[in-house]
Amino acid sequence: MNKNQLLKFFGYKLVRFIILIIVVAIFSFILLDLSPIDPVNAYLRQAAVSEAQRQILQEYFGTNVPLTTKIFHWLVDLVHFDLGTSLIYRAPVIDIIIDKASASIVLMAISWLLSGIIGFAMGVVAGKNKGSWIDKAVKVYCYAIQSAPSFWVGMLVLMVFAVYLGWFPIGFGVPIGVKSTDATFMEWASRLVLPTLTLSLVGLAPIAMYTRNELIQVLSSDYVLFAKSRGEKGWDLVKNHGIRNILLPAVTLQFLSFSELFGGAVLVEQVFSYPGVGQTAVAAGLNSDVPLFLGIVIFSAIFVFVGNLLADLSYYLIDPRIKESEFND
Amino acid sequence: MDKKTMMIIGGIAAVLVVVGCALAFMGGSHDEDPTHLTVAAHSNIKEPEAGFSPLVGWGCGHQNYNPLVQSCLFKTDKNGSIVPDLATGYSISGDGKTWTVNVRDDVKFSDNSTFDAEDVAFTFNTAKTTESELDLTNIANVTAVNKTTVKFDLVEPRSTFIYDLRYVGIVPSDSYDNTTYGENPIGTGPYVLDHWDKGQQAIFKINDNYYDQKPYFTQITLLFPEEATWLELAKSGDVDVVPVATSALNQTVDGYQFVEKSAGRAQGISFPYQNDTGETWNGTVKIGNNVTADKAIREALNVGVNRQTMCDDIFAGHASPEYTSVDTRAYANPDAKVKDGDVAQAKQILADGGWNDTDGDGIVEKDGVKASFDLYYPPDYLDRQSLATVFAEQAKDIGIEVNLVGADWDTIYNNMYSSAAVMQQTSPDPYKSIYQQYHSKDADGFYMNPGLYNNTASDKLMDDAMHSSDLNAANTLWSQSALANGGGWGPAGDAPFAWLVNYDYNYFIKDGIDIGQQPDGLGNDILINICEWTRTNSTAN
Repeated sequence: MNKNQLLKFFGYKLVRFIILIIVVAIFSFILLDLSPIDPVNAYLRQAAVSEAQRQILQEYFGTNVPLTTKIFHWLVDLVHFDLGTSLIYRAPVIDIIIDKASASIVLMAISWLLSGIIGFAMGVVAGKNKGSWIDKAVKVYCYAIQSAPSFWVGMLVLMVFAVYLGWFPIGFGVPIGVKSTDATFMEWASRLVLPTLTLSLVGLAPIAMYTRNELIQVLSSDYVLFAKSRGEKGWDLVKNHGIRNILLPAVTLQFLSFSELFGGAVLVEQVFSYPGVGQTAVAAGLNSDVPLFLGIVIFSAIFVFVGNLLADLSYYLIDPRIKESEFND
Repeated sequence: MDKKTMMIIGGIAAVLVVVGCALAFMGGSHDEDPTHLTVAAHSNIKEPEAGFSPLVGWGCGHQNYNPLVQSCLFKTDKNGSIVPDLATGYSISGDGKTWTVNVRDDVKFSDNSTFDAEDVAFTFNTAKTTESELDLTNIANVTAVNKTTVKFDLVEPRSTFIYDLRYVGIVPSDSYDNTTYGENPIGTGPYVLDHWDKGQQAIFKINDNYYDQKPYFTQITLLFPEEATWLELAKSGDVDVVPVATSALNQTVDGYQFVEKSAGRAQGISFPYQNDTGETWNGTVKIGNNVTADKAIREALNVGVNRQTMCDDIFAGHASPEYTSVDTRAYANPDAKVKDGDVAQAKQILADGGWNDTDGDGIVEKDGVKASFDLYYPPDYLDRQSLATVFAEQAKDIGIEVNLVGADWDTIYNNMYSSAAVMQQTSPDPYKSIYQQYHSKDADGFYMNPGLYNNTASDKLMDDAMHSSDLNAANTLWSQSALANGGGWGPAGDAPFAWLVNYDYNYFIKDGIDIGQQPDGLGNDILINICEWTRTNSTAN
């Protein structure tokens, strides 16, 4: 691949990205505007104030500013890389997102890796032993977990490991009464285990199921039949003819799961009082903190977009056929 | 299945167990220092997202708050009386529009700068224009006359201004910066903010400059957990003070005492007071209800329901019957109460008012109108949902049909002028608990006075109370407004509400912690007298 091709590839991605951001921003604005939540009421939480104070708050929350004006101003600021100031946190949106996202990304990265690796392994084991008890167990697990909401799984994990067994602390991202800057690595890491476990348990189901089905298909193909006829069997057969063929779809799926990972993290952070971007998104939405909410929307769009971009790049590394065609379009 | 598969599964399981155990043993350290205190904040004291600034959220709108880092001009003593803190005294001008407050001259902020009247003037002048739930729009101007005297000019006379002086923490005029103060608050209170993990906990240390008796606890960790995790926090044993959710009232936790504080938290039902004449507010919000506008209906419900049963069934006894919404206050009027739980009398009131069950369905009618109305409640509060349900059941026994509607607050606000709604009132400030609630002047577009109650005689007494420059005289006037010439906002008068219960604040407090004597009826903030708290058994865990 030469330099021009690379530039063309990334240029094309960049244009798509900018269009995506603008469309996402406008739709989020419209949705927030249609939301029945009155930001002033949400902020006051049933506190009684006078008409005059309410005027001050309405001005602050911009409830009387026309939608088009709001969108225009926001986009102009965005061009200057200014995401505005959060209404409830009264701090620059970008600072809040960096602060919260760093906690979330650790959580998401570990569970993403774990769910990918364990999910793939489970899928391979199940696919290879199709029809055996282990295959059935994997299938039952995957079906059950796919239909269970992640916050519910989180509650179960919390009850078993934190309350009954007492192995892990019950929520919070830092040890109680200790400054986060003074916490030891172990204190910090032990608080990451349960949320990570929950996200992994939920995230591995689609990978496992997909890998299992792909492997079963591959194992019933003509070239595997041919290999079998030459005497290959067991793990060698899977290793030599299966893995490379099922890796590509699995990797694609794994990168595409970025969006689900984000959604899962929002719920899991709530359950474990984990101070990530998910908790912040919920607070911003419920309080109609428009600048913060849009900032998080943009952040999640970038997150998912990067996931897809990495998937595209991984094709190039894994499958030589794509290396040939993708960059020559 | 072959051996390799078994080995892989076994290997993964073993790794998980080993990692889990290692983390469990290394991560679970306990703080052993007895002078350290860990408190899970009640949902009413949520984390101030904008930081610990009394001008934009820290304690704003919460009554009886101890802002820890800041101190206020006045404070609440153990009897519930308002006594000087930073102030040394005050006087009110004859027209009630000018308040002069004298302040101490021996106080330093935690950054060693000196506190004087200028700081008070700055705090109130700034707070007045700040966008927050702190409503000081009645202040015209605040000026420092000299180092120890500050003058408040009010727009309208307001005898309840003392409550504003009680609840606004004083910030330093020299260094206050709206954008940075929240994370680095400087005050004159007993504690300083040491560290804040946003979304989780704030750690406070003793303020060495504090002018009053130094507290026993040298470090306070304030946690901000979800209500759903409260019970688990107590069971984990890591937290000294944990609020008790309604769903956990029957629980006990080893090593913890169950502490109950009378709250002055009145819960009840508001009734639309006007008839439905097709009138609307803002063209969209319907006003009036022909059933609840009939005094017989409101009276019958007030007399017919059994408040003690509600306290026992819903709050497991951790509540007391509430009749006027201010039963526990200094300005309560015992004569304005009615005797409740009398179904026979309630039926008699209905019959006398012309309501009879003519079609035999158990619900009374009058002039072809069935005694039936909608009752809105917020379903995300378990206590209020239960209250609505029990109220509807009890209303049915006296022949009135109450249809329950669970809705978000914006929907409730849009329907409360034409339907009943479950309401809560917690303020000890009579401006909020009486004036805004029952004065006809406030019958417009706000959720105070939801039924649009309107009584001229009562209004007059409330206005007089507001304009009084003698707080004791004002209390008498507030009390009289509940029952004036057979009318008034109490249940023995016009009964615009059916106040039902006064739900206590309940906490699990670790054995050995002595929380001193707290003011009654004001249990909103458990830390209100934190300087008196001690731990009597010196081993913390």
